[in-house]
Amino acid sequence: MPVDASSYAIETLGLRKIYRSPWTGRSILAVDGINLRVESGTTFGLLGANGAGKTTFVKMLLSAVHPSEGEARIFGRNAAIPEARRDVGYLPENHRFPTYLTGQGMLDFYGALSGMDSRTRAQRIPELLDLVGLGSWATVRLNKYSKGMLQRLGLAQALMHRPKLLILDEPSDGVDPVGRHKIREILQALQEKGVTIFLNSHLLAEVEMFCQDVAILDRGRLVLEGKVKQLTAGKGYRLSVSNALPEALRQALTATAASFAARDSLLEFQFPSRNEVNRAIDLLRREQVDIESVEPTRSTLEEVFLETLQAAAPSAMPHQGGKA
Amino acid sequence: MNRAVLSTTVTLVVDTFREAMARKIFWGLFGLSTAMIAFFLFILKIDIVEGALATISIFGETAKEKVDLNRFVRQVEGAIATFLYTWGMFLAIFASAGLTPSLLEPGRIELLLSKPVGRTQLLLGRYLGNLLIVGLNTAYLVGGIWLLLGVKTAIWDPNFLISIATTMFLFAVLLAVVVLVGVGFESTALAVMIPVGLMLVSPILAQHQLAVRLLNSEWSRQVWKALYHVLPKVYDIGKMNLDYVRFGKVDSLEPVGSSAAFGCVALLSAIYWFRRRDF
Repeated sequence: MPVDASSYAIETLGLRKIYRSPWTGRSILAVDGINLRVESGTTFGLLGANGAGKTTFVKMLLSAVHPSEGEARIFGRNAAIPEARRDVGYLPENHRFPTYLTGQGMLDFYGALSGMDSRTRAQRIPELLDLVGLGSWATVRLNKYSKGMLQRLGLAQALMHRPKLLILDEPSDGVDPVGRHKIREILQALQEKGVTIFLNSHLLAEVEMFCQDVAILDRGRLVLEGKVKQLTAGKGYRLSVSNALPEALRQALTATAASFAARDSLLEFQFPSRNEVNRAIDLLRREQVDIESVEPTRSTLEEVFLETLQAAAPSAMPHQGGKA
Repeated sequence: MNRAVLSTTVTLVVDTFREAMARKIFWGLFGLSTAMIAFFLFILKIDIVEGALATISIFGETAKEKVDLNRFVRQVEGAIATFLYTWGMFLAIFASAGLTPSLLEPGRIELLLSKPVGRTQLLLGRYLGNLLIVGLNTAYLVGGIWLLLGVKTAIWDPNFLISIATTMFLFAVLLAVVVLVGVGFESTALAVMIPVGLMLVSPILAQHQLAVRLLNSEWSRQVWKALYHVLPKVYDIGKMNLDYVRFGKVDSLEPVGSSAAFGCVALLSAIYWFRRRDF
């Protein structure tokens, strides 16, 4: 189904960034011609190793970094125009909120910059502080907040003006498991309300659990993009049988299975294709062995991620590098 | 200016003010101003005899002869105005130098830029906030001393109040340099050194007529003249300020014009640089 431009929350056209040192003339290609579309109302995860260009990409969406070539659009408008960012809520990684402000002062300040009037801000602030579990910290200065509390307050800040697009850079960073669960609940509620969520995270399990679509960047290039369900589908089949299996049969199955594990009173065999699992079932039924279960298994996003990076650069695994 | 832009600008100005208060910049300047007013209150012992003639004691010195009280008060005001103009300016620059680099700290600037606020507005909001902090303190200090002298002498000389405008004008020019250096290098130290350097070099460059006679090469003379005309004329404006406070007149407004032009170029350059930078 064709989708018109305005239905994309984010659209980038040949987005490219080359950092040039004014002193040495040295250039670093951080983002290399990325074309990406994020439909409104979806949850999108951006993945990549350190130095892959994720942060630069996000900063270009917010116009904190100017593209060398190409264009970034937010709901169809050039992201460089301040007005285009009115519907965007952003939580940066390694944020540094002014510590001279209190929790409510901070929300009030950023809410005012987002164009909210004072009455709406006054109503919204206690609501959000309660939502992120900081209601009793409203009048405390930020220099007294823990890292996890600042992260939750940062999320409240991003939600202050009820944005249609939420860009979150490592939202769970420094948050304890309870806080992380709370953040996930908040994001799920927003997702149900149709807010587009763009998540930049190293936590692949979090992205897999939460996002519908993902893109993987490698050295500034977009190397994979698609639906999480499709990318993780078709890994194989898991066959479970009782561990009271004759030894010969056990050896025969182990020889054809991709992997094998003993778990409690069960033996689990992993087969890469339908044909192989069918052959195993035939063998078991001939010996009149009860089958506990047969189920299709999926790849994890982590596997997809690592395979993609390996395919993109067979000789190099994800490298550690500076922020690009 | 539409209402939304005005409201956002006020938010940015207030934020600068709050930061200055939290970093003790505002209260530091306010405390020094109060201490200075108290100091003058302490040293200024003027016994008014009806009319314009008086026996006056200041800094422990007593006028031996009958003096023109108006003239004496103007001289005292001139000395105070010069003191405030120079040392107050140094203090204001020291106090303001960190406010631009702090705005550009990683983790803070990205969030500000993600808001629907233009970069020019963001920088000007901080610039205006900074001006307001120094402006309020200058008005408090000059106004306080003016009131003190007025109450003590019954001479209400409005010329002294021009020091507020003169000091603020020069501060606005030098603050543009502070902002330019802050945007370009994110260094508080450099943001202090360069404007202070301009202040220190100004009295030397102001001797351009003498330099023209002393310098041998034509090239050196032209460089000297060019620097004198291009750079802010801190010394000349200070002298103008003194002349106006003492005599109520100035010879030429040229130093104001050329310094204003320098300040505008510096501020526009800062805005241009800020708009082009990646964060």
